[in-house]
Amino acid sequence: MRRMLMALAMTGPILAHAAALTALSAADVPGLLKPPGHGERIIELWALDCAYCESNMRAMAALQRAHPHRIELITVATDEITQRDAILERLHAAGLDRYPARAYTDASPERIDYLIDPHWGGETPRTFVIRADGTMFGISGALTPQRLSML
Amino acid sequence: MRKLFVALLCLLPPSLVAQDNMSMAASPSHAVELGATASFDAHGRLWMVDAADEHVRLRYSDDFGTTFSAPVIVNAQPEPIYYRSENRPKLAVGTHGELYVTWSQSLAKPWTGYVRFARSLDGGVHFSTPVTVHVDRTQIGHTFDALAVDGEGRVVVAWIDKRDAEAASIQRKPYLGAALYYSWSNDQGHTFVPERKLVDHSCDCCRIALTRTPEGDIAAFFRSIFGDNIRDHAYAVLHTDAQPNKVQRATFDNWQIAACPRHGPGLAIAADGTRHAVWYVAKDTPAIWYGQLDPGHPPRHAQVIAGAGASHGDVAVDGSTVWVVWNQVDAQGYSLMVRRSSDAGTHFDAPRTLATTASSAGSPQLLLWHGHAYVAWNTTEGFRVLTVGEH
Repeated sequence: MRRMLMALAMTGPILAHAAALTALSAADVPGLLKPPGHGERIIELWALDCAYCESNMRAMAALQRAHPHRIELITVATDEITQRDAILERLHAAGLDRYPARAYTDASPERIDYLIDPHWGGETPRTFVIRADGTMFGISGALTPQRLSML
Repeated sequence: MRKLFVALLCLLPPSLVAQDNMSMAASPSHAVELGATASFDAHGRLWMVDAADEHVRLRYSDDFGTTFSAPVIVNAQPEPIYYRSENRPKLAVGTHGELYVTWSQSLAKPWTGYVRFARSLDGGVHFSTPVTVHVDRTQIGHTFDALAVDGEGRVVVAWIDKRDAEAASIQRKPYLGAALYYSWSNDQGHTFVPERKLVDHSCDCCRIALTRTPEGDIAAFFRSIFGDNIRDHAYAVLHTDAQPNKVQRATFDNWQIAACPRHGPGLAIAADGTRHAVWYVAKDTPAIWYGQLDPGHPPRHAQVIAGAGASHGDVAVDGSTVWVVWNQVDAQGYSLMVRRSSDAGTHFDAPRTLATTASSAGSPQLLLWHGHAYVAWNTTEGFRVLTVGEH
């Protein structure tokens, strides 16, 4: 019983705070790209086998917390949503439970890459920013100070 | 927005600000397992390998890919295998018809692996018990194997190796990317010499292009890291004697990215020594480039073959004819595209669509047989061989 309680205590937080992971199909992309009412929407594209991605996601979450009324953060796993458990586990480990999370579902996933941003070759991490005025831009790779200084 | 990113700079975790010395790289983001490799033998039989259910499988076709034999299992004992487009099982035909197969075995820890090898000396009826090519047996990345046979019949295997990155990590020293190591066999794959390091700071997850030079050596063209995460390409001949290796930068796009582009290059060397190459850059917008390598200097006749949506190019040459193929994705799905040059790569014809699919597609591979070009293309719908045609 004691073991069961311990196991329950360990899984409890995951269950309690699990992000709602919803599928992103090609048809859903226009909605994802719709400009926000104000401020910026940051779409953080990541992948399960991307070791550069987690630190980027944490940084984006920190940025959102610093500007909660201005920035909307959405994570998008480019892995198939059938890997739901692994995706949620990684999001939880990165402390991103509270943010809306999507994962790809498409027979040819690169099609979704293209629909999100034709100027993106699918490399992750990819940070995609959409402003309220409809302008948007993307940055590939870990956001080092050097990368940021180029903006 | 600039202010936003200044704010972000302050929030970046120290490890990220200090150095993105990741021991692992970003790698293919889609779990599409369509890696296959094909090769003609001297008699026009087309051999191909792919993998399923922890087995590498060999098949052949005597009608240019219209029909294939039943598969022969290469590794009798199942083992986890990487078989994505950039990290797929490889096949090469030896001087006397030997069939050589390599693959990257996936180990328990993420992103780790061993380069494995097996051979058949009886036309694919039986395969040797697989061996691990490298002496180093630490549980790290030895993956993205590449395979070629040189003019003397040596079996040359190159791969991306994380041992130097791991050693640096333990000593808390910065180390970008991975290293490129290689080995070879002087006895038809019976044994391999202890591996040799070609160069530090290769990209972590892009396939290596190997091809034979007119002198019979094996040349490598691969994505490397120059300076602060500039992921351009390098060229080197993989010497199998006492000569020191000379690795030279061969593309100069200055694409700086702290991630792995998961796009390796292609290389085909003409009889006159011209090094026809294709490579992928997404510095401003994604593009597949063609150029003729002049190691140490920017490529000659460099030109964009295809723009946004283009990926995974391959190149082949026969005399003054050069072919480039690639995958082109758009809102409908994939197209397999080709461009042809009849003046040794100075100009290319307009792009042509060879095939389309609404499913997933692996990297296309150009194959030559008596001056005719074919493309091996593996999609979720099945493995296909397409004739490129003359126009």
